Amino acid sequence: MSEAILYHGEPNGPSLSVLAALEESGLDIECRAIDLAAGERHGLPGVTDSMAMDYAVEGEGPVLVIDGEAMSEAVFIAQYFDEAAGGCGLQPADPYARWQMLMWCRQATERLSPAAAYLGLHASTAGDAPLDTMASEDLRERWTDWQQRRFDEAKLADSRAKVAQFAQRIEDQLDDGREWLMGSFSIADLETFAWIRSMRHLEAEAFSGKGALDAWMGRVESRPSVQAALARSTTGEPERAFAPGPEINRWG
Amino acid sequence: MGEITLYHWEPNANSGKPMLALEEKGVAYASHYINMLQFDQHQPEYLAVNPQGTIPAMTHGDLVLTESTAIMEYVDEAFDGPALMPADPQDRWRVRWWMKFMDQWLGPSFSMIGWCTFIGPSLASKTEEEREAMLARIPLPERRVAWRKAMFAEFSEAELAESRRRISKGVELLEEELGKRPFVASNAYSLADINIFNSTYMLPVGNADICSPELTPNIWRWLREVYQRPAVQRTWAKGTGRFTDRFTAVMRDFA
Repeated sequence: MSEAILYHGEPNGPSLSVLAALEESGLDIECRAIDLAAGERHGLPGVTDSMAMDYAVEGEGPVLVIDGEAMSEAVFIAQYFDEAAGGCGLQPADPYARWQMLMWCRQATERLSPAAAYLGLHASTAGDAPLDTMASEDLRERWTDWQQRRFDEAKLADSRAKVAQFAQRIEDQLDDGREWLMGSFSIADLETFAWIRSMRHLEAEAFSGKGALDAWMGRVESRPSVQAALARSTTGEPERAFAPGPEINRWG
Repeated sequence: MGEITLYHWEPNANSGKPMLALEEKGVAYASHYINMLQFDQHQPEYLAVNPQGTIPAMTHGDLVLTESTAIMEYVDEAFDGPALMPADPQDRWRVRWWMKFMDQWLGPSFSMIGWCTFIGPSLASKTEEEREAMLARIPLPERRVAWRKAMFAEFSEAELAESRRRISKGVELLEEELGKRPFVASNAYSLADINIFNSTYMLPVGNADICSPELTPNIWRWLREVYQRPAVQRTWAKGTGRFTDRFTAVMRDFA
């Protein structure tokens, strides 16, 4: 493989899922920690094509730079690792099972992650990032809202409801006794776990009485790939590290 | 493996994506037209297929698939025919990135303007009671909010301005992308082209301030090439009314 570097934040949310996916793939790619909450993602060295970094729907996620091209979006980077490794088992081979996994991941990235990111920002102190380095106007606005602590009560309530609904969705999915969300282990487990993990302390009641969810979280957390990803934390509390994530749907 | 039925509206945006993907693959399917403006998608017959009431949906034997981009990926993997995903993993990543950028960032802005200027007014002849009854049948709360805004013209000036800003920015980024390689995301025609074309094929009509042969020569070259594809022409020939008229008008200019 050509020159590749993975720039990642504290192992929470998309940085956690991508770091764990890299471990699962066994690919030899250099990882460099950056401070997402300080806006360091916007000044990466050696980037000649920054479009996907500047306009990532995901917001402040990890960036994989290969031959100068900045690659973003955690689920797609995980798919890249799986495919570059010749198939490391992170995606089902059957087309319909794959469709189910992609649909699950879309639900996670469109419903759970915007909600978790919003609640995470609300619970954390804004980084002092220089906004003039950010190309995307709408991402800049999410940063400004965070720095000036402008939070919308209706969005907070909606986010809490979405986290609770997603916790229930996971519990229901595991109801038949399956070990992993899609039956066999996949990107869906990593992506979902990475976003819901930090909600356990912020939205504790969403987890109460959900035995299957709890046991599944334990299984994901104890995977060597996830342990290795979590061990990259420099603060010791990665579940408290947030930066602006995906926007909450503008309409419909 | 069983019959394929596609439940779709016109060859445009989300409905057009699986229609064109199936056509490019050479896969025969039974077409089930859902008249979105009559709210067929919220009638019991359709909710029995897709309880979410969103279109399009596809059935393949006993399997039910929803969400246009995910359906396209399934179509490409499940059937023989020309590959619509590149082989190189980085190219594949780029195809997915562009489809998400369209589906979640640029596309909603196109559709807000489209709903505001076309869909809302086309329902204006219905009485308020009729419109409320139509809204009451929508299963997803988010879709209910979106339809309400369109039906009662409740989009704020700020929302519309933001959508226009995104459209103009998105067109600029697409122009830049198509300056890097012949197609969106890779050197070969792919699902990304099918996805993006379905939301941009009408750009040559009435958008001269953001898209023209002079302002966006790369988009123009790409549109001209995609318009000429036999599968594209067959797909839009299946449409009715303004969608096919608009396609035919642009096609005349490109010929």
